[in-house]
Amino acid sequence: MNVNRISANNNWSSPLRMVTGIAVLAFLFLFPRFVESPYALHIMILFFLSTIMGESWNILGGYAGQYSVGHAAYFGTGAYVTMMLMQFRQIPPWYGVWAGAAVVVLVALIIGSICFRLRGPYFVLASIAVAEILRLSAMNLKELSNGAEGILATEIPPLKIGGVIVTDFLSKVPFYYTGLAFALLTIIVTYFIQHSKLGYCFQAIREDQDAAHSLGINLSLYKNIALVISAMLTSLAGSFYAVYIGFIDPSTVLPLDVSVQIVLICIIGGIGTIYGPVIGSLLLVPLSEGLRSNMIAQAIFKSGMVSEESGMGIFLRENLSHAHALIYGILVVIVILFMPDGVLGFMKKMLARRAKS
Amino acid sequence: MTILEIRRVSKFFGGLAANADISFTVGKGSIMGLIGPNGAGKTTLFNCITGYYPPSRGEVLFDGVSLSGLQPDKVCRMGMVRTWQKVRPLAKMTVVDNVMVGALCRTNSLKRAREMALEQLRTVRIEHKAGFLAEGLPIGERKKLEVARVLATGPRLLLFDEVMGGLNPAESEELIQLILDIKKKGITQMVIEHDMKAIMRISDRIVVLNSGEKLAEGSPEEIVKNPDVVTAYLGDCHI
Repeated sequence: MNVNRISANNNWSSPLRMVTGIAVLAFLFLFPRFVESPYALHIMILFFLSTIMGESWNILGGYAGQYSVGHAAYFGTGAYVTMMLMQFRQIPPWYGVWAGAAVVVLVALIIGSICFRLRGPYFVLASIAVAEILRLSAMNLKELSNGAEGILATEIPPLKIGGVIVTDFLSKVPFYYTGLAFALLTIIVTYFIQHSKLGYCFQAIREDQDAAHSLGINLSLYKNIALVISAMLTSLAGSFYAVYIGFIDPSTVLPLDVSVQIVLICIIGGIGTIYGPVIGSLLLVPLSEGLRSNMIAQAIFKSGMVSEESGMGIFLRENLSHAHALIYGILVVIVILFMPDGVLGFMKKMLARRAKS
Repeated sequence: MTILEIRRVSKFFGGLAANADISFTVGKGSIMGLIGPNGAGKTTLFNCITGYYPPSRGEVLFDGVSLSGLQPDKVCRMGMVRTWQKVRPLAKMTVVDNVMVGALCRTNSLKRAREMALEQLRTVRIEHKAGFLAEGLPIGERKKLEVARVLATGPRLLLFDEVMGGLNPAESEELIQLILDIKKKGITQMVIEHDMKAIMRISDRIVVLNSGEKLAEGSPEEIVKNPDVVTAYLGDCHI
């Protein structure tokens, strides 16, 4: 009868939860010790990156309900500031990251003061427009950003503390741990937001702005807090991406694609939940990598469903890797139709249903 | 003692005067009824008082302080909160979380806010629904949730916009008792209501609005005998 009841005991007693958490953390910390394949590490790093992006957007979009489709602005600005400082001023990225975050906070406050005058779909459009302005600026301010040529990182200086080299960035392992640390940071920030006054104010604004306003919540203050936290964490992702890949240009770090990608991670995983973006990344990163590298086509051939030499097989081999946008789109439609609360919400509902029967 | 003074408030939407030159005062601890036919400007007046609309002319004084230019959140923090004609539960949050949002304007501690919220849920007698999502409540309990939520903000003046609308007689009776209980706590209330029996019973004074203007003001007994009010509600031919 009471489907709407929030069950406190959804099969996850808290000791079990803790053991699982520690096991997952231990696995993640030890992963590079046992797996040396650079490709596996690369996939894990992309997974961390996606988690950072998703969790960051989730604070503004999932908790405060402000659906920004312009988060590429913060991703790109963080990436550009870090790269420009590293290439043009020889400032190492572990300082540059924070400079990037500081610049992004300023950008976010300016964007917030413009876009938060608008509500609903108008806010979405404004957020897209502002991100496009930044992309076009990066494209055309050639003296500052190298324009469409982009910036190539020639060398990342090794990280030294007191003259001792702590790590160099030649292998993927330091990136792995940096990504893991940033991802954990965003999850911890989200956890604290959900369990604080901020979280309550954000969610009240998401559910009903006018009601929240009448209950003493200063709308522009809390929306801007959500935006600043979200933008700052997104800029960490941008800086991390830039240094890891070693090359950025306006069409890789500032386009609408990036903004949409960030939103999709959350929508597919589950909006407004701590682990939704993790689940979203867990699904989307392997999917897009599998399609891009033709691994999925290979798997289909191996399973014997389609022979590689048949017409269908050739078609798949030639085209599946280009079809990842299409398959993405289909996936989003399926999630929206059948799992309106995302995969995580769907799983919770199924668990609750099983617990009852 | 006056807690709220409305001084010559007008609100224009284009050429339409939704409120025209309305003045009255509300005494501390009393219940002021606000009635009038549909479109009389009752909700607009609430919106002007609580800061949703800036009045086109005139001003509102709360405890002697002008509210000009203040946003609803500031007005709420000063101790004046309203409910909505169409209930506005925070649907995807639990009942107790809804009320906690109200309590959080008085405290920063979640633990304290939860205690305050549970206390108000007991006041309106829906504490057994504390862990449910607000969207699952039936209308009667949603109305009570709204009352609990505004009570949690620690108000001195409450504005109820048709808090009994759409309820069955038993539920209405419960809300009437609730309003009378709130009065006993010393909280001033202003109530918009269409149910004449209810409003006559609970109000100390009543203001009647018609087509944006104040038509009459007085005790319930005076209002029922006022020929202008009867005309406004029933038309000329009944006189």
